[in-house]
Amino acid sequence: MINALLITLLFIAGIYLMAVMERWSLSGSLQWAGPARSFLRLFVQEEIKPRKHDTVFFETAPVLFIAVILLVIAILPFGKDLVLVDLATGALFINAALVYIMVSLMMAGWSLNGVYGMVGGWRSIAQLIAYSMTVVMALTATVMRAESMFMGGIVESQQTLWNILYQPIGFILFYLSAMAIAFLPPFDLPTADGELAGGAWADFTGLRKLLFRLGRSVLVLTLSVAVTVLYLGGWMGPWLPGFVWIFLKTLLVAVSFFVLGRYLPRIRHDHLLEYHWKYGIPMALLNIFIVGVLLIL
Amino acid sequence: MELLLTALIIAIILFGIGLYGALSQTNLVMIMMGVELMLGAAMINLVAFWRYLHPEAFSIKMFVLVAMTVMALEGAVGFAIATQRFRSSGSVEMEEAADLNG
Amino acid sequence: MMISVQLILLIILGLLSIWFGWRVFMTSSMVRSALSLLASMVAIGALFLVMEAEFLGVLQIMMMGTEMSIMAIFMMMYMMDPGGLGEMDMTHQKNLSIAAASIFSLIIAIVILAVGWGPLATEIPGPHEQNRLLGMEILKRSMMIFETAGITILTGMIAAITVALSIKNNRN
Repeated sequence: MINALLITLLFIAGIYLMAVMERWSLSGSLQWAGPARSFLRLFVQEEIKPRKHDTVFFETAPVLFIAVILLVIAILPFGKDLVLVDLATGALFINAALVYIMVSLMMAGWSLNGVYGMVGGWRSIAQLIAYSMTVVMALTATVMRAESMFMGGIVESQQTLWNILYQPIGFILFYLSAMAIAFLPPFDLPTADGELAGGAWADFTGLRKLLFRLGRSVLVLTLSVAVTVLYLGGWMGPWLPGFVWIFLKTLLVAVSFFVLGRYLPRIRHDHLLEYHWKYGIPMALLNIFIVGVLLIL
Repeated sequence: MELLLTALIIAIILFGIGLYGALSQTNLVMIMMGVELMLGAAMINLVAFWRYLHPEAFSIKMFVLVAMTVMALEGAVGFAIATQRFRSSGSVEMEEAADLNG
Repeated sequence: MMISVQLILLIILGLLSIWFGWRVFMTSSMVRSALSLLASMVAIGALFLVMEAEFLGVLQIMMMGTEMSIMAIFMMMYMMDPGGLGEMDMTHQKNLSIAAASIFSLIIAIVILAVGWGPLATEIPGPHEQNRLLGMEILKRSMMIFETAGITILTGMIAAITVALSIKNNRN
């Protein structure tokens, strides 16, 4: 019980740190009070609705966005036996929930009744379909090693050797795909500030925008937890209790996302898809093959 | 008993809606939606039979997997036909697609 | 007690899937109708989860999310009236379709109610055991069928690409 409370607090602190890092990756300066100010501003901002917007999608999209991310959190283990729902198909469920981020972005883009929003929405579909393929293929390799789709089982299979060393190709693919799914800077095409003026989120203001921005921070942290659990040995580590180790590794992964995003140039949309379908998927298949051979040996 | 019947009746109604859609719509993509609904209804039936009649027969689940494959393929080939149709005649209305009619 | 909870969930999710399935053909906005179909399919996936077929349910929810989004794009591309601004009638042979669908459903309903289904199974394997048994089924008894599914996908890919290639461009 105490542990659960502590984990929630740590998670909220992590979300705040994500928001700070997001600002840093755009502006280059660490503003510790920035997220709080922007939170308050969005809270009281006037809610402007575009003319002739699609009401159902306009209201559902932000809620769906944050709801699917909370579903992913529910199945991730934060320590030995510290998991809300221990699904027997946990590894598949992560991907199933992440697909709906794409659906929500498409709904958001469509509902705005504007060109930039719509282009952003369709872009998000192209990008996220492509990258959820590598996510599910990299997950397959980890599941093969663990011989179980329980997230806890995957962590325990890394007792002797972490997956980052056992299947480095899978780690790199999953890491980059996680960045693409969270549309972090080098891959931030659905909401590209430079060319689409905010893309799928362009005309959202006030509380709905707040839900999106908050959801994105939670999403980055959630995907970092997923990387930790699948490749960095989850709660394993000496001396400290399990959930502290998970949080240390998670923050390391999340900060590395933003540092990488700050120093990489933004990729063009066609290149993004081309690299992925031509090189990413064959690499993922190769990874599955290598892990299979290693398991038989 | 009522559990199995409920699942089957849900499947029947969905199948009826899908059949109505597939027969009555004029647009190719809408017709495909009707077919998808019918396949979904068939999958409900299969899972209900697995759960309530033969939980030991896993070939039923196998059948559901094959049905999902068919669904995805139906999408791919159907969209390919739609693309070609749109390119050659500028619309995917099935009323106008009577080129092969005698 | 557990059985009745299952029944209530079945009815609620079934009504949801039927409602969204009906909305698919009753709305004039194309993206709305694709996403209604998505909602209907997700409800079907949830029905699988209620019927304790966990793997199939999650797989269904995952696959349909992708498939219906693609469907929404194609709807947008190929419809004359993607936004649904005008109230166009896009149906034909309406009475015939209604009659065919309802008569067909009625016949199956009568068949279902007339057949004696025998006792229901109560004991089913747990989710983890189900995954193992499904894998065993796929790789032992039904291996050839599963291979056929793979070949079918390959055939479908080739067929889709050949059909969608532009013939005019090839001649030049």
